[in-house]
Amino acid sequence: MILQTRPLTVTINGRRYGPIDVPEGLMMIDVLHEMLGLTGSRLGCGIGICHACVVIWDRDDQTSEEVQTCITGAGFFDGKRIRTVEGIARRNDKGEILALSPVQQAFLDQFSFQCGYCTPGFVNAATVLIERLKRAPVPRGQVEATVAAALEKHICRCTGYVRYYQAVRDLILATPGLTRDAA
Amino acid sequence: EGKTAAYLGQAVAILIYRDFARFRFAKEKLQFNDAVIRYGAVTGPLQRDPWGSSRFVRVGGPTPYDDDVFSCLKQGPVSPSYDKHEPVWPKPARDGDLGAQGMYHADTIQYELAHPPAEWLVLTRNYATQSGDTAALEPDNANGWYDADEQELHLVVPTQSPQEVAEGAAAILQRSRIGMKRLFLHPCFTVGYGSKDHCTMPYYGLLAAVYGDGRPVRLANDRFDQFQSGLKRHQFSMGYTVAVERRTGLLQSFRAEIVANGGGRANCSVALTLVGATSAQSVYYFPKNDVAATAIASRAIDSGAARGYGALETLTATELMMDEIAGELGLDAIEFRLRNVLKTGMRSAQGAVPLGTQRAETVLEQARDHALWTGRASRKQVYDAGHPGKYYGVGFACIQRRFGTGAEASLAKVELAPDGRIALSHSGTEIGTGTSSGQAIACARWLGRPADALDMAVTEWPDLPVETSGDPHSISQAEQDRLAKNPRWSPAYASASSASNSSYYFSHVTREAARVVYLHGLWPAALAMWGRDGREAAREVKPEDARWRDGALAVEGLELLPLARLAQEAHARGLVVGAAVHAFNRWQWAEADFVVDGASARAAVDALSVRYGGGAGAAKEALSTTPNRYQVLDRRTVSFPPTQNNNAMVGYNTVVGTLAEMVVDAASGKVTLLSHHTILECGNMLAPELVSSQIQGATATGIGLTLHEWLPLYEDGPGNGTWNFNRYHLPRGSDVAVWTQTADVLPPLSDREPPKGMAEVAGIPIMAAIVNGVAHAIGHRFRTLPVTPERILEVLA
Repeated sequence: MILQTRPLTVTINGRRYGPIDVPEGLMMIDVLHEMLGLTGSRLGCGIGICHACVVIWDRDDQTSEEVQTCITGAGFFDGKRIRTVEGIARRNDKGEILALSPVQQAFLDQFSFQCGYCTPGFVNAATVLIERLKRAPVPRGQVEATVAAALEKHICRCTGYVRYYQAVRDLILATPGLTRDAA
Repeated sequence: EGKTAAYLGQAVAILIYRDFARFRFAKEKLQFNDAVIRYGAVTGPLQRDPWGSSRFVRVGGPTPYDDDVFSCLKQGPVSPSYDKHEPVWPKPARDGDLGAQGMYHADTIQYELAHPPAEWLVLTRNYATQSGDTAALEPDNANGWYDADEQELHLVVPTQSPQEVAEGAAAILQRSRIGMKRLFLHPCFTVGYGSKDHCTMPYYGLLAAVYGDGRPVRLANDRFDQFQSGLKRHQFSMGYTVAVERRTGLLQSFRAEIVANGGGRANCSVALTLVGATSAQSVYYFPKNDVAATAIASRAIDSGAARGYGALETLTATELMMDEIAGELGLDAIEFRLRNVLKTGMRSAQGAVPLGTQRAETVLEQARDHALWTGRASRKQVYDAGHPGKYYGVGFACIQRRFGTGAEASLAKVELAPDGRIALSHSGTEIGTGTSSGQAIACARWLGRPADALDMAVTEWPDLPVETSGDPHSISQAEQDRLAKNPRWSPAYASASSASNSSYYFSHVTREAARVVYLHGLWPAALAMWGRDGREAAREVKPEDARWRDGALAVEGLELLPLARLAQEAHARGLVVGAAVHAFNRWQWAEADFVVDGASARAAVDALSVRYGGGAGAAKEALSTTPNRYQVLDRRTVSFPPTQNNNAMVGYNTVVGTLAEMVVDAASGKVTLLSHHTILECGNMLAPELVSSQIQGATATGIGLTLHEWLPLYEDGPGNGTWNFNRYHLPRGSDVAVWTQTADVLPPLSDREPPKGMAEVAGIPIMAAIVNGVAHAIGHRFRTLPVTPERILEVLA
């Protein structure tokens, strides 16, 4: 059997990959895991429900959003820029981690995760949220509802969500510019 | 040709691909395609005897503190024979053998319940809990490769039970045609909630590796596979009869028939069902009980050690019944519980006296006085009046559950470098609960600060030879006494991470190893350093006078000695700087006497090796014969816990109570949790953050099992390969009252009270609390889980 391939060029965590020949129909998570050696995104359900596999798609208009890579074909990402969990921390030229992102540090400080399988998805979701609030702050009184809405789709079996949500809430409240006084 | 499948969804083959893309596309064609398997004749499901069955009968003495007339502890459980796949209990006879005597008392209890005194209220109710998936997000997987030239097999596996996998893999390969000289097992940090304990996936991975033509093979379930083949939660059916004296509100008698569906392959169903049966008494004292429990074989997927391990199911039923009885008596539900609470010194349903101070009474009192409970009636009135079509309710439940399996064993090695850095190796494995953090912290008790380096899930212990044989749960006292003469023997080797065993049992070996280093390394080093000053006081001080303060050893009136200086001194003097220990617990610790560096020492361990610092002389060097220069010490005497403790079934308990506040929407049938509050006692916490995160996580699982999660057992169930999280609803943030939940942990009884296992118990009382709260809200008592919107709508229609 001969597999049909399509070229894929994608920028991941600031690095350009490709063009690489990707078998047609392969989901992006398989490309990340099997062809690019980026195994941080987790396959949880394979049907787009649990959101453990999400990456951040950075649009040209400076906005970004989560995309489930378990149900999104690699071809969708051709020519696009994405971030995976490997690209969230600050690294030096050698790829060594210099500092965790504020979201990652908050999750560590607050014992947010347990087994850690869902954590890449929560890191990416919270990162997208923080970046959105930088562009469009919310009233302080709406922070909890905003966090809950942003993280609701992410499934975690271990934690009961409390320490994830609290970490993101506290980070938002402690970061200047993410909230505003009630309108 | 062929044979009948043992259960629905049984695996038939492992296909090995050398190219990922081809594997992916082939799987897409095979998955959901029933035509790829050619079936033979229709035989119907296998008909088999139950996996096991036991009966626990007790008739207490005149008071809860007196000796029993008959009990499991004294006489043992009653075992049946089987006829037509049903248990047949021994013929009752007052003067017969122990089984016949037990059935005589069981018959007496049954007769009394059928013909009760006039002042008794006797209630009979049937309860059922559902099959479910543990839903550990990392599905089962195994990675391996076989090096035929060197005859070496490498396995990289996530498992809760690395020792079991090591032994099982070695046993399989010893009987195979391929040669194997060495097995390299690399257990991983993982998560399981029971699905990665006694799990077959590591062995499938082993076989795939052997047939992988020398290539590394990765075998991993996707979520459909995991639902189809992962170990499931046992479905329980429970018929309870309870008698209570109307005037006093005191419980009189408890009878139960418990059936757990173990599915089509023997796993841990027998042990799990026994734990469920022997936990059902919960926090209450019953003068008499007759609890029969059977684990049946069926065509369902095999069920395993899902979180709660049988007690989750039976305790939920008990707590639903307690609320209903209180209602029948016209008593406040917590007041009724308080009247019957098991107090320190009272006997359990097995006739044993639970160890330690019993604190259920304190938990109940705190719940009784909590604002969620005291104001519930008036809040309901106000809420319901202001929210037409919505019903407010508050429910409560309180349980206690054992931690540990009754045969816990583990190993730890603590080593101190000359610069004071602490390295810890441990046989326990991390399953996301914080075991590794907890064990690191446990070093601080004797060494002043947490370990710097950790090696968990260690399966090779060349510095501490320990031999084991037999089954620690069923070994006879005579056999144990005979084997104990071998100074290397212990009833068990190394436990899986399960049964909430890390905080108490795993920490014990960590602390004992650290204590040996402290007493035989740091303390003599400290005395020497203080003695250099010529201070007379140094001769008077004792180890118990010292305290660690900011990483330095402090004794009143003497110089503070930082750990690094002490370590340097201990190394220079050739004192003990490393200790490896093995311990065993059967509701009490084995203890042994050793001679450590010339000094007699008694420790709650059954094996001990020590390493000396670089300044040790030639004599000590000659004794240090292991690969890492440890001296293996022969124990001089040993005292193993008596085998009769096996009949106690339960020794150490943790108590937890939960209040749940909710609203039931009459239009949708949906139950929305407004808040919940948990009260827990668990001794001294190793890390409060880990305790609270276990409360939060376990409670969310309990909410899922009460309101959402459910799997059909048979043809429509997960064995058909079509189940995933689109149909199996795991709780989300909006389901768990994420912002409004609270918890109180009772202060420890003393600063020496050990940490207690709590990761399983915390998720249990929320279940009955919700169902009791629904009863408060709409006046209907559900007895089958889950309580779905559809079922609520049926009731409200």
